[in-house]
Amino acid sequence: MIQNNASKKKNAAASFMPYVWLLPSILLMVIMIIVPIYTVFQISFSEVGRTGKIKGLNGITNYLEVFEEPAFWTTLQNTFVWTIAVVGISTLLGFIIAMVLNQEFAGRKFVRAVVIFPWATALIIQSVIWKYIINADYGSLNVLLRKLGLIDSFVNWTATPQTMFAWECWVGIFVTFPFVTFCILSGLQGIDDSLYEAAAVDGSSFWHKMFRITLPLLRPNLTVSTVLNIIYVFNSFPIIWTISKGAPADQTHTLVTYLYQLSFADGKSGHAAAVSVIGFVILAFCASIYMILSLRREEE
Amino acid sequence: MISKRKPWQTVALYLFVTILCVVILYPYFIMFITGMKSNNEMYAIDHIFPQAWQWSNFVDIWSAAPIFRYFINSLIIAGGATCLAILCGIPAAYALSRMKFKGKGIFMGAVIMSQMFSPVVLLVGIYKLMVNINLNDSLLGLILLNAAFNQAFTIWLLRGTFISISPEMEQAAKIDGCNTVGALIKVLLPMAAPGIITTLIFVFINAWNEYTIALTLISTDAFKPITVGINVFYGFNFIQWQYLFATSLFATIPVVILFLAIEKHLVAGLTSGGVKG
Amino acid sequence: MKKKVLSVLLAAAMTVSALAGCGGGSAEETAPAETTEEAPAESGEEAPAETAGAEPVALDIIISQYGNYTQEWWNQFESDFEAANSNIDLNIEIVSWNDIYTVVNTRISTNEQPDILNISGFADYVADDLLMQATEYTSPELQANFIPSFWESNSIDGTVWALPILASCRALFCNVDLLAEAGIENPPTTWDEVLTACQAIQDTFGDDIVPWGLDISTDEGQAAFSYYSWNFGGGYVDANGDWALNSPENVEAVEFIKTLIDSGYCNSAPFTDTRYPLQDAFSAGTLAMMIGPMNMVAADSTVNYVAADLPGNQVALGVCDQLMVFKDEEAENQEARTAAITAFFDAFYEQETYSDYMVFEGFLPATLDSSEYLAQNAENHIVGGSDVTGSSEYFATFCAVLPNCEFYPMQKAEWMDVRNGVIDVEQQVCTGTIDAQTALDNLQADVAE
Repeated sequence: MIQNNASKKKNAAASFMPYVWLLPSILLMVIMIIVPIYTVFQISFSEVGRTGKIKGLNGITNYLEVFEEPAFWTTLQNTFVWTIAVVGISTLLGFIIAMVLNQEFAGRKFVRAVVIFPWATALIIQSVIWKYIINADYGSLNVLLRKLGLIDSFVNWTATPQTMFAWECWVGIFVTFPFVTFCILSGLQGIDDSLYEAAAVDGSSFWHKMFRITLPLLRPNLTVSTVLNIIYVFNSFPIIWTISKGAPADQTHTLVTYLYQLSFADGKSGHAAAVSVIGFVILAFCASIYMILSLRREEE
Repeated sequence: MISKRKPWQTVALYLFVTILCVVILYPYFIMFITGMKSNNEMYAIDHIFPQAWQWSNFVDIWSAAPIFRYFINSLIIAGGATCLAILCGIPAAYALSRMKFKGKGIFMGAVIMSQMFSPVVLLVGIYKLMVNINLNDSLLGLILLNAAFNQAFTIWLLRGTFISISPEMEQAAKIDGCNTVGALIKVLLPMAAPGIITTLIFVFINAWNEYTIALTLISTDAFKPITVGINVFYGFNFIQWQYLFATSLFATIPVVILFLAIEKHLVAGLTSGGVKG
Repeated sequence: MKKKVLSVLLAAAMTVSALAGCGGGSAEETAPAETTEEAPAESGEEAPAETAGAEPVALDIIISQYGNYTQEWWNQFESDFEAANSNIDLNIEIVSWNDIYTVVNTRISTNEQPDILNISGFADYVADDLLMQATEYTSPELQANFIPSFWESNSIDGTVWALPILASCRALFCNVDLLAEAGIENPPTTWDEVLTACQAIQDTFGDDIVPWGLDISTDEGQAAFSYYSWNFGGGYVDANGDWALNSPENVEAVEFIKTLIDSGYCNSAPFTDTRYPLQDAFSAGTLAMMIGPMNMVAADSTVNYVAADLPGNQVALGVCDQLMVFKDEEAENQEARTAAITAFFDAFYEQETYSDYMVFEGFLPATLDSSEYLAQNAENHIVGGSDVTGSSEYFATFCAVLPNCEFYPMQKAEWMDVRNGVIDVEQQVCTGTIDAQTALDNLQADVAE
């Protein structure tokens, strides 16, 4: 920093300055996020009536009761499947599509525009339309497939909890992959062609180029999209809530829809708050791993 | 990557992108033709296309419910949240990228942590807070909340953008007599424009598409954003799919246009902003 | 081109950053500003009230959305009422069934409960000591005017806690043309006939027609449980009024639901299909039979249908939603508040007004004078959102059926657990995770605890 005639006063002011710059942001987040977090923690240790009335502290009773519910463990398992499947497949799919879109071909602009569509559409709208499409009795997928002669009789796409959940994952992937595509695409466009030309001279194979040049250079982009997607997908609510509401028999919940149902359909706000805190702890744990890893990389 | 493709590769490429486009556009196609059907045809399974094209559906929705009002509300919420998030985010990101101070690491950690809690998880807490400060059932409340829940992302992206820009130019400007704020505005922000645009768009989209908080906080019809407003077509006794989808199309179009308009900057912004996370 | 865009952005960025200094603060400051703006508007409305002499009272009222035009009717009511009672300010909020429990729960947990609430179920609010007794605010004339069984249905141990707002009853709807084409002459009267009819329809139409509509979603799965269990001879409670969920009849009923699904007679997503798309499908003629409320067929439907008794024991489900009044310890003048509430109910249940609302929404009245009146004069009122007038015949028929309906045991404190429990049982049994006997035994054990 450039300081010509530094007086003590100016130094004191300078050391105070960064906090002034941070102040608006801190204020906003403390009031709007930290205060509700505090409330949720408090409720998770309180006895709450079905009507929402708070009746006083009751220790860890809510947590113990949540752990006793088999539905909670199913939900926990679903949440991991959901997050890993959606983020994993979206990343793979998004990556492949980005590689394709990085090629020169007629109509590339059009395709790129099309890929934006799922990203730009509200989740709630996507969920409703997909629910309508996969309905087995009047949904348009069955009608279309039958018109095309691919099926003779209507297929029940959501016959079991597993297929229902698989469809929800598909919708999740459908709305998530464009973000990955554009993250990767931006990285690909930053890679110097000369690197590939040099590799071509050496006679490197496609896979060799992929693992030696493309992937290492794309690592930052992949990290950004993966980390953000994990957070968004883990916390995603409208898809599952619109399509199945966790039915049948709480088999297709993730933590977020489960706690919403506990809180607002079953009237168990205390349990819901406990599930919130558990979800928070899981994500915080993942985030700290990420932070430790990225700090270590920076040190390297 | 300019290389000669073999014929089969070209065929495979076009086949791939064709399938891709068909799959992506399929729901929108359904949205469109369903929005064109009459209520009676909704459950008829013999036809893909409507027998009688009800263009009037696209007109009727505007009188069937205050759709226009919902759109304006969505615009106010998303626009307001975007401005506020950026206004708070720029100074914070600047401090994080250009200044050294105690507690920087803790602050960054807290920012990331704040992203962990989705608004849905905090719904009860948020509702209580909003009632206490008298902002439940108001657009301003939604603006503040959307801005706050997008702060982490805003700061993160902007900080990356700022770090990627060398501080030398600003220092030069300071020697020329600019103060810190002046250097920020005149030198750094223009250079960081692509990153700022990306951030703007992201926050806007998130706020435009937000559903759960608005669903819970807003009870007055006149304050509902479009995502919640389309619920009017889920009546007590019937669902008006055709109106639901016609309105959904209208709700989607502005965002798609926005995306298309800034696609170039979006990609550029992600390169400069995202990579230094 | 690119430069131009950038310069525009730059200008935008500069205006943005010029505001940056005061950004965080100004946003916070606008909050109180907005509330103060509202204040004079409110006091302006109250001004004439003070001149009228009575103390001004504001009532927050939450009404469930029964139809697409509910808001319209209540807007009219609000302005008529406020014109007649200048000291009372009504804030009527129409909330959809989708959101109403969410909204009310959050309000209560923040001590922001409404004064008057229209919802289904009241025992939980009583358990948390939130409600006023109905006799405190209901005028004697109005009390006497309620159909006695309805008035009593909202009582717990002899104390009445809520008023019946409207009723509906469920019937078996059959598409006559489809049944005839499949060779079925009459609507099925036994459960075996139901299976036969479903099979005939499936054989005749294949995929094009769904034989039987079933909704065991979390939305209203307890209704299905009621239809089947009551008509197999079981039910929620035994003769003493104690929970009897694992009776052999109930087991049989749940197994029958599973049979319907496994035979492929039902809509394919009974776990998530609510009643509404089913009703629409029935109105459109692609669903042959379903049990639903008496006003379920769309007004513009061309389907030729009959509403028949439920198969089996012919016990119909009656649904009766309530209006209830919350205590408000913070109210400055309790007497004025109670008087305003009494005035509200007197105005709402007034024969003309109340009858008009019943025709408007297509439900059955819970008062004696309106039942009588509508059986002859329904044509004087119109159905919401249309020019169609009510049908006296319809009201005469269904009002007569109503006394034979069974209602949910809503007055029992465990009702919500039982409601969610039976839906869970249905879903678990029908996905094959557990057999009906075990599932119902478990539920009974949970509830009886």
